[in-house]
Amino acid sequence: MIKKILIANRGEIAIRVMRSCREMGIKSVAVFSEADRDSLHVRYADEAYFIGPAPSAESYLVIDKIFEVAKQSGADAIHPGYGFLSENAELSDRCKKEGIIFIGPSSYAINTMGDKITARQTMQKANVPVVPGTTEPIIDVDDAVKVIKEIGLPVMIKASAGGGGKGMRLVRNEEDIVSSVNAAKSEAKASFANDAVYIEKYIDSPHHIEFQVLCDNHGNGVHLFERECSVQRRHQKVVEETPSPLMTPDVREEMGRHAVMAAKAVNYSGAGTIEFIVDDNLNYYFLEMNTRLQVEHPITEEVVGVDLVAEQIRVANGEKLRFKQEDLSQKGHAIEVRVYAEDPENNFMPNPGKIRYLSEPLGPGIRHDGYIYTGYEIPMHYDPMISKMIVWADNREDAIKRMSRALSAYKLSGVKTSIPFLKKVMEAPDFVNGKYSTHFIEKNKDILHPDTDATEEESDLAAITAFLDFMNQQEKARPAGGGANEKNPWKEFGRRKGVLRL
Amino acid sequence: MFEISINDNQYKIEVVKREGSKVTVSIGDRLYDLDVIEPEPGVYSYLYKGKSLEYNFFAKETDNKQYEVVSGDKHWDVEIIDPQRRYRKNRAGDDDDGGNFISTPMPGQVVKIFVKPGDEVPAGTTVITISAMKMESEYKVVVDRVVKEVLVNEGDNIDGEQPLITFEEV
Repeated sequence: MIKKILIANRGEIAIRVMRSCREMGIKSVAVFSEADRDSLHVRYADEAYFIGPAPSAESYLVIDKIFEVAKQSGADAIHPGYGFLSENAELSDRCKKEGIIFIGPSSYAINTMGDKITARQTMQKANVPVVPGTTEPIIDVDDAVKVIKEIGLPVMIKASAGGGGKGMRLVRNEEDIVSSVNAAKSEAKASFANDAVYIEKYIDSPHHIEFQVLCDNHGNGVHLFERECSVQRRHQKVVEETPSPLMTPDVREEMGRHAVMAAKAVNYSGAGTIEFIVDDNLNYYFLEMNTRLQVEHPITEEVVGVDLVAEQIRVANGEKLRFKQEDLSQKGHAIEVRVYAEDPENNFMPNPGKIRYLSEPLGPGIRHDGYIYTGYEIPMHYDPMISKMIVWADNREDAIKRMSRALSAYKLSGVKTSIPFLKKVMEAPDFVNGKYSTHFIEKNKDILHPDTDATEEESDLAAITAFLDFMNQQEKARPAGGGANEKNPWKEFGRRKGVLRL
Repeated sequence: MFEISINDNQYKIEVVKREGSKVTVSIGDRLYDLDVIEPEPGVYSYLYKGKSLEYNFFAKETDNKQYEVVSGDKHWDVEIIDPQRRYRKNRAGDDDDGGNFISTPMPGQVVKIFVKPGDEVPAGTTVITISAMKMESEYKVVVDRVVKEVLVNEGDNIDGEQPLITFEEV
């Protein structure tokens, strides 16, 4: 039985894992870099160990250092969270070698799903629908042109080794085929030192819908329904919800079955996510598998009523799944927003800095998975996501209202955040009506612009706020006279005013 | 009387009256009757015309003169320009920007006037001495000018930015 878990991560996800550990009576071990001594995950853990300089390549990504801490602390399992080493096959293998439990899948599953082409081939073998396109990497330009003509325009050309949108080219017109293939190849070569590309059908109004799966080591697997993640900016998810407003019960059941088949095709163990691309007519195609816990896992937890981290730990312990597919259902509606320290008025530039004031919304149906606190200085070395706010309500309409309410009550000063932008998303008719694709943000960019024009009254009160504090500070700075114990800085005001006036 | 600069606008600001949490502030030509408390550090809770409003703030520098103020989705950069700061700023440099009048950045009292209408004053001539916060300062013209009008008398109390002497080009 796992008694002590090392969390090879930082920030909110480290805390999220520790919460489940604590409920299960498991000790938690944090690791931290030079930039993170004051990070909340260090404070939250039972034990914490320093692992090196601020750049993650010298700390959070160094497998040797993680294992040193594992040995030093006597941890019997490692949870990788998401990002960092979470999809690193070497970590999984090394755990096996060192006799430490890896809370995640085998290196075989990670490797197979980590490469787009082998993942695609595996899915085709398992009869999971994939986007029409090539299964072999293409190097020759003439071959590429031939394939594109077979599939039919529009197509997307992607770098075989790619990610994050690099080496991607959309082709809509026949005359652009050759130049686009060449451009994608040279971009792929420059970014990944590998100019192999693959080509797939481009879906015009795509929805990004993913299925949560959970598999044990005894051949059992279930899905925990979908998450709609189509609100994206630069391929980064911004808002997620479940159930998907697009979904029908029949398609859900079929997609869920395919998701479980996909996971079983790689003997998956633990929690994973099958991402699908879905068109307006609910034709769906396998996109990729994330062999880890997802950032947006909480919305599934809220609607299905399962603690995914706890289940990951149970599976890693060798336990059988505690539920069958027919035991699971969706209740109500959940929405998650990702709050980033970035300036929505300035092209979403990251905005690291010190949190001067923080008041998070509370009340029915609100959950925060975050890690900031008043006085915390957000380091510039890591992801600018500072918190995830999740709401649950009985239905979608109420969940949107609840999220709007919560965002309005989310008070944070010191750094700029995406909160004003997220509020506008909740008000956008396309979102409210549930009619949106991954083009949502681009399509609605004019109405998603935060309202920052203040009225004269608002502006005056802001000036008055600064002025009153300035006066209070001046009062405090004055040498203590007869009224040294004066509690109320305002009391002496009339007198001081007389002094200041000339 | 202080001045405050907020998002490129500049206003005179003054606490006119204060009793407990009730405060009357004049800003520009507006007057606000407010009920204000600081329920937690960095937060002002206002009651204004029946509305409950909240503003967060923090000083960007230790001298507490530059603030960032946040309310809802809106944020402001606010700077308090106190007489001292304005005074030092002006002593350091541009007494007169070559414009058509002389004024002071802060309130004070006229000590001495050295010119009368019609006088030709070459650049560098001291035209008026003003006393503020127990210090006297001389105001000079930086370009050659002819005095058009003297708007104040010795001993007068003056406001900041109030035209004192006007000029014409030579």
